[in-house]
Amino acid sequence: MLALIYFVVLAAIAVVAALGVLFSKHPLYGGLSLVLTMLSLAGIYGLIGSPFIGVVQIMVYAGAIMMLLVFVISVLNAAKDSKTPMFDGVSIFVVIAALALAGLVGFALVLSPMGFDVTTLRGSVEMTSKNLFDTSKTGPGYFVLFEVLGLLLLSSMGAAVLMAKKRLSSEVSEEDHKEDK
Amino acid sequence: MELQPIYIQILALVIFTIGLIVALSRRNIFFVLMGIELALNAVNLSFVGFAKTLPADMSVAGQIFPLFLIAVAAAEACVGLALVILIFRNRESVDSDNYSNMKG
Repeated sequence: MLALIYFVVLAAIAVVAALGVLFSKHPLYGGLSLVLTMLSLAGIYGLIGSPFIGVVQIMVYAGAIMMLLVFVISVLNAAKDSKTPMFDGVSIFVVIAALALAGLVGFALVLSPMGFDVTTLRGSVEMTSKNLFDTSKTGPGYFVLFEVLGLLLLSSMGAAVLMAKKRLSSEVSEEDHKEDK
Repeated sequence: MELQPIYIQILALVIFTIGLIVALSRRNIFFVLMGIELALNAVNLSFVGFAKTLPADMSVAGQIFPLFLIAVAAAEACVGLALVILIFRNRESVDSDNYSNMKG
């Protein structure tokens, strides 16, 4: 019962903050609402028994990714077209299509029987590390994915630096580099 | 009344739908990126919620996979924001309708 109350409060905060992303005018307010959504989702992870994912969600999502997004929004804030309308005429069809999709998936979800399993593992640090770094031959092999993920992050970092830096042979005008540090 | 797994899935579905609507209907390019992040969050929540309905040896994968998804989302945000900075230098605009080169 207490878990349900916590869940309802956190879910209400998450949904209201997600609606705040949808209806906020300035991207900075949208980013802050998104941080609130992620924090309440981290609380839900802790509630249903995966505290490690909740902590990683706070550290990586709300801490790193959203900090990067808010930083770039602040850097590019001089955009002159922040007064353009939020939605256009196509948006109503998008909303109808997305709601129809949600209705279909929700219908299928409600019909399917589900229940919590009592023997399910708690997503603690021990369980995560034991399975993630299990390098035995019969293990699940998540460590290969982990290495691949390191390569992915390294290559995306290189791609981002290459794309966002000043051009090396740049005689182009100076005013389009004013957002560089 | 106890907490049921279907509530978690319904919450994930609601957040995914809002993220999809944000990503597809907003014109500001930052909101498109934020909608994608919101949808990825909902998928993470759905993974963890389904993992809790499985017995012990099967519930591991659903709790490991969100960690990989979070890292992939970090890479996606990194490259996506670099692309936004690059486009902003050329077009001086964050409105995604101004990015089209072709007519129609």
